Amino acid sequence: MAEQRGTVGGPVLTEWFATRDLHKLDVYESLGGYTALRKVLKEMTAAQVIDEVKISGLRGRGGADFPTATKWSFVPKDHPGPKYIVVNADESEPGSAKDRYLMENSPHMLIEGAAIASFAISGHQAWIYIRGEYDLPYEMLRDAIAEAHAKGYLGEHSFGTDYPMDVRLYRGHGAYICGEETALLESLEGKRAQPRSRPPFPAVKGAWGMPTAVNNVETLSTVPWIMRHGGAEYAKRGTERAKGTRMVTVSGDVQKPGNYEIEIGVTYRHVIEELAGGALPGRKIKVFWPGGSSAKVLPGSMLDTSTDLDYLKSIGTMGGSGGIIVMDDSHCVVKAAARLLRFYAFESCGKCTPCRVGGNWAVRTYERILAGEGSQIELGILERVSDGLQNGRCLCGLGDAAGWVIESTMRHFHNEYEEHSLHNVCSVEAALAHA
Amino acid sequence: MSTLPAHVLDEIRELPAKYPQQRSAVMPALDLAQEELGYLTPEAMSEVAVALQLDPGYVEGVATFYTLFHLEPIGKHRFYLCTNLSCTLRGANEIVKHVRGAIGVHEAGEVSKDGLFSYEEVECLGACEYAPVARLDRRYQVDLTNQKVDALIAERRNPVVQPPHPAAPLAQPTSPRSGEVKPPKKRTKKSG
Repeated sequence: MAEQRGTVGGPVLTEWFATRDLHKLDVYESLGGYTALRKVLKEMTAAQVIDEVKISGLRGRGGADFPTATKWSFVPKDHPGPKYIVVNADESEPGSAKDRYLMENSPHMLIEGAAIASFAISGHQAWIYIRGEYDLPYEMLRDAIAEAHAKGYLGEHSFGTDYPMDVRLYRGHGAYICGEETALLESLEGKRAQPRSRPPFPAVKGAWGMPTAVNNVETLSTVPWIMRHGGAEYAKRGTERAKGTRMVTVSGDVQKPGNYEIEIGVTYRHVIEELAGGALPGRKIKVFWPGGSSAKVLPGSMLDTSTDLDYLKSIGTMGGSGGIIVMDDSHCVVKAAARLLRFYAFESCGKCTPCRVGGNWAVRTYERILAGEGSQIELGILERVSDGLQNGRCLCGLGDAAGWVIESTMRHFHNEYEEHSLHNVCSVEAALAHA
Repeated sequence: MSTLPAHVLDEIRELPAKYPQQRSAVMPALDLAQEELGYLTPEAMSEVAVALQLDPGYVEGVATFYTLFHLEPIGKHRFYLCTNLSCTLRGANEIVKHVRGAIGVHEAGEVSKDGLFSYEEVECLGACEYAPVARLDRRYQVDLTNQKVDALIAERRNPVVQPPHPAAPLAQPTSPRSGEVKPPKKRTKKSG
């Protein structure tokens, strides 16, 4: 078990969220907003900004957990043309709602973070790619950007300096695959969103063929705080290796579903029982997805698992996008897995064969099982399809994630799969009928 | 005689200047066309292609990839009902059934007789803490119940009751769900 912490060492992202009208520039600024961007533009070099973020230990919160400063340092400094920060605001991982929550509460925090990141890569333009369904966050960001322009914080002379800085918006139109960074870039360029093969990596050839760093909303929203308080202060939070705080969204069968900022390293029991109020009355938590639907499930007996990102990796799952989906004993694992496979099959972009074909195979197999037409053969198919989807056979991780759902639910709940496949019995339904 | 009015085509022709490469204008342009017509006809897609100097097949390829582009008529008010896992655990399937009955259609995509409503089952809308959730008229409707659905439909059937701008439940988002206590729902019928 990795190091555990029970208390949050002071919020970072949600520090000001109790303040009314935080989405307005004057309110945001009255609390200290935009001081970081002003300081960066007037007093710092790009290298100093990257160093400060490196000290903080900040890693990408979109799911990939990649060190943010390192990603920025990959962007070539001597490139003559434009360089871009692209903000991945295409949050669509089932169970994850934290980016929406951050944008709705504090759009200026993201704008400031995106501008600081642009400065760190010596760029002048950040593009926020926001999913099309997020109408309200889009409108709030649009208005916030206009406010920042009107104040002279964005524009040709950002904060009166000679440094031009702009943040722009691009709306997605409904495709989970756009959360994958190269698919997002394709979409931003006006194409069907299909992942690119790498190399070249976005840092070399990203948006519109130019060097690009793609960062998640939460990652960039953390940056202004780090620049205000220093990387060392941020690094005091978290565990030995996984620094800082993060947002989690708790949904499903809990009493208080919601978005919570946690210090990395607290246990899932703390998050689910203390923050989210625990199981519904008379119910027991059977299973939870620790980091979005793509993270391998953990059984309810493992609630004491740490949210330490490295520890989660070491036990074969991940903290992912922070979407914690909780399911209690009134729901059937096989039906839940079948629903998620329907999602992955539908959202497959169709470019790589294992994902395109495997997802649909899995869906049809689940349908047979749930229709009472299952047998040992169906269980074997699921195992083989799960294997075929995984292990880097595709350009992106969508297929792997689909495989992980099958594999991890079968591993922990083989009895439910057998009851359905071999005996056409749903023990969950049966138990409820007798209750 | 084109399908899209001249002013829309003018607006579309101005879009490419906003982007480093003009191809990026294709989705914003399709947006404008869809807003004008309600959905994308083959003619409209061709006109977008001509206005942006792109191949019509290319434009159609983009339009068919993304779920928010509609290639068939939809109701004036469309329910985008999330049925992904978090919403399903909270009774989304019951909501789907209720919407279907309340607007009098048999399946997703079918438009109600009065032309006002249609629905679609969609993947995760990213508001899982408010499950079950729907997107309707560019706003999220949260913590859905059958009664809430009925009220939303009634407001839109009767224009007197309908506010000029549909209520925005998340418009003052400084109250995080985090602090709220949500009473556990009575679940009479299991959905998953």
